[in-house]
Amino acid sequence: MNSSRRQFLGAMTLAAGAYVAPPSMLSAQPAPAGRVAVGLCSEYDRQVVDVLSNMFDQLGGLEKLVRGKTVAIKLNLGGTPTLRLKYLQPGMTTWAHPQVVGALVHLLGRAGAQRIRLLESAWLTTEPLQEFMIGAGWIPRDFESAAKRVEFENTNYLGSGKAYARFMVPHGGLLFTGYDLNESYRDCDVFISLAKLKEHRTAGVTLSMKNCFGITPCTIYGQDVPEDEPSLIPTGGRYLLHSGKRQPPKSAPPAVDLNAPKDDGYRVPRVVADLVAARPIDLAIVDGIYTMAGGETPAQGTGVSVAIHPGLLIAGTNCVSTDAACMALMGFDPMADRGTPPFEKCDSTLRLAEQLGVGTRDLSRVDIAGTPIAKARFDFRAAWPRSA
Amino acid sequence: MSLNAKWVPMRWPCGPIEVARISKSRPADSVLRKTVEGWTQPTSLQLLKGTPINCLVVDWASGTADDESQQRALKPLIEAGRELGLSFVGKVATSENLAAIVTAGRAAGLEAVMIDGPANHSLDLPVISGFARDSVDWDAATDIFSATGNVWPGVALQTMKGDTGVGGPTGEPWMDSNGWFALLARQMVPQRSVWLEIDLPESSEALPVESYCRAIADSRAYGSHWVLTLDGAMRTGMLNGNPKDLSAWKSIGETLSFFEEHAEWAACKPMGILAVVSDFKGPNSFLSGETLNLLSRRHVQYQVLDRRLALAGPVTGLKAVLWTDDDPPTSEQHRNLLDFVEQGGLTIAPKYWGPAGVVPRHEYWLPGYDIYDVSKGRIAVASEGFSDPFQLARDAHLLVGRENDLARLFNVGTTNCFTSIGPDHRKEIVQVVNYASHSSTYLAVWVSLNAHGARLWSPDSKKPRSLECVSESGGTSFELPEFYVNCAIEIEREV
Repeated sequence: MNSSRRQFLGAMTLAAGAYVAPPSMLSAQPAPAGRVAVGLCSEYDRQVVDVLSNMFDQLGGLEKLVRGKTVAIKLNLGGTPTLRLKYLQPGMTTWAHPQVVGALVHLLGRAGAQRIRLLESAWLTTEPLQEFMIGAGWIPRDFESAAKRVEFENTNYLGSGKAYARFMVPHGGLLFTGYDLNESYRDCDVFISLAKLKEHRTAGVTLSMKNCFGITPCTIYGQDVPEDEPSLIPTGGRYLLHSGKRQPPKSAPPAVDLNAPKDDGYRVPRVVADLVAARPIDLAIVDGIYTMAGGETPAQGTGVSVAIHPGLLIAGTNCVSTDAACMALMGFDPMADRGTPPFEKCDSTLRLAEQLGVGTRDLSRVDIAGTPIAKARFDFRAAWPRSA
Repeated sequence: MSLNAKWVPMRWPCGPIEVARISKSRPADSVLRKTVEGWTQPTSLQLLKGTPINCLVVDWASGTADDESQQRALKPLIEAGRELGLSFVGKVATSENLAAIVTAGRAAGLEAVMIDGPANHSLDLPVISGFARDSVDWDAATDIFSATGNVWPGVALQTMKGDTGVGGPTGEPWMDSNGWFALLARQMVPQRSVWLEIDLPESSEALPVESYCRAIADSRAYGSHWVLTLDGAMRTGMLNGNPKDLSAWKSIGETLSFFEEHAEWAACKPMGILAVVSDFKGPNSFLSGETLNLLSRRHVQYQVLDRRLALAGPVTGLKAVLWTDDDPPTSEQHRNLLDFVEQGGLTIAPKYWGPAGVVPRHEYWLPGYDIYDVSKGRIAVASEGFSDPFQLARDAHLLVGRENDLARLFNVGTTNCFTSIGPDHRKEIVQVVNYASHSSTYLAVWVSLNAHGARLWSPDSKKPRSLECVSESGGTSFELPEFYVNCAIEIEREV
């Protein structure tokens, strides 16, 4: 990190997480707040660049954050590339849309980013990320031509790195003391989480923070990993994190408490909060132009997944504040916790991250730029089919 | 008398040989024995009315004391069948007195015999040679030949735990299909037809009608014939006029008719920019065959080339050659392959035989391969040879690159597809088969071409429905309506 990034962040937030400040949980400082920009954007076309550009200006300017830097973008490409809600391409429902990815890459390049790295832990495979994207019908060349030096990495395993990078959770962590991740998450100056505005069946919402659940490699956190060392290739989904029925390989940082509850509504929000404390998000961007209500991936045939059109883009420098604004835009109370929508069966990731000092979810402390929340709200639960 | 490529075969279990078989395997099943007796009567042939079935495969000799009575019992059936325009093929399961048995069959009205292995002798009737599919003697394959050892198409039951599918190596439920073998056969011996013999799954109840239709679709879509075989419960029901069984039989007939009405699709050439080269026999049979199976599972469209005949001239129309056998290419093949690589092609091989002095590079995402850049192309060599067909299919797909996919399926579930192209290159056919017991919903098919128009054909309708062509990712995608077993997209290409 260098001074320009600190200046940028300094204007918007009190701290960016574990790298720069201890968690307020222990320091008794109030969790930091960051400005959040809300933009109206009706379609995936040229206007995405303009709306995003304006939003970044409202946040203090992109150039100050990224000029001369290596920028890593965690995409939100969950599930398999061939899964669609009805016939809709994933960008219209479950994944941040390629138009948003391309616009962001373009704006980062224009702002002077030296190197832009697109990251995702592609489901169950070691294939290059470009191949995964092509399998979904994306054209990675479009991203490569949107800025000067664009790279791709599948972070679901060691990838092009030599060793996993260790991220310890400040002051001990909620579920694990630390996490071993692909080196790409360390070897960047700026880390962006580019997520979709969605609900989540386990964690209540999938926003910029929950997107980071996917930075964990399945070679370490997959269901069939070896006991001592990571596997060479991903071995199933992250059931180990979900269920806690077994531990990651001994080479990885251990669990805080081996007797922690096995309920995934308890575990997944804690893993996410741990991760965003250990690997802070410098810029959170959420695509809500078109998306889906009723979960994070299509539940085909159950009738609970429905395509919706909120027409929104959200960005912020503090991931908790950004996700809090997103929740309010979705018609939820960001101060809600277990038992209250959307956290009927889980704990609030926002509350846990706030507790770790990552940021505040109290919107009375958050400066909302652009369109006021009241004017941009799209009630996700009202969009649910009656049968659900 | 000759073998007729237009035969639509059905196994017709009847006569004393079948009764003896049942008495041995299911001694208490008197109902089934009675059914067999019923199916031996000429009146049973009325069941074929309205179906395109025109060839019945009957037991003719088993090398037992039942043979004489079998042949006597079949006489009226064969006579009546011939009057109805049906052909009869006699299955001979013995090599003793073969010539005499065949001569008797000719006298009784058989038009061909089906025997195990190659036909080594000149016989009075045309022969359909039968092989286990993992040891087909391609040189000895008769104009029509049969293959055993096939799987019952569907989602593999051994990968189910209760109502939960257990993933195969791909993480998806494992699907059993014979499509790859049909493709192999039609490309190894192009002018011949393969008949698939498949053992029915063990069940005391009639199999669901979809599962019969799937077995037909899984063979016909890929250019082979399944020797239609019905389970005992269904045969009994049909004989007794059970409406449910008769209705199922009607659906089976419609599926058969669907493919007969589109017989021209069988003449379309399989598409593929990847060629798999092997002799597909002996020690090479498993790796090369299973690689084809697993490439199909990835929806990779491929060509099959017989190693002994392939690459005799310049390699055209391909982007990649997968040479699966350890045996090296001949000098002529070597020269042509090298030309292919130098012009930008990719060769994947278990050993390096490119020019000396080229230093290989490695890709972190493809461990175990040395990649030699030779002029404009590449030779990818598995450092320790090939051993795992799953790995090989995956690696080949990665090396060729999804950018070169000819077809992709979305919401794929348990479906698979096969693409072929018409002789004038104006039409492309994508045949889609669903291997699950439930319908396929919201399936989208993408092809890497710009389509002028497209029609969807399915067995439940005589008329096609027009499909909207949606431009996507440099190709065209189609949204398929819900279907149960199979359908086909006929695409007009921009030429």
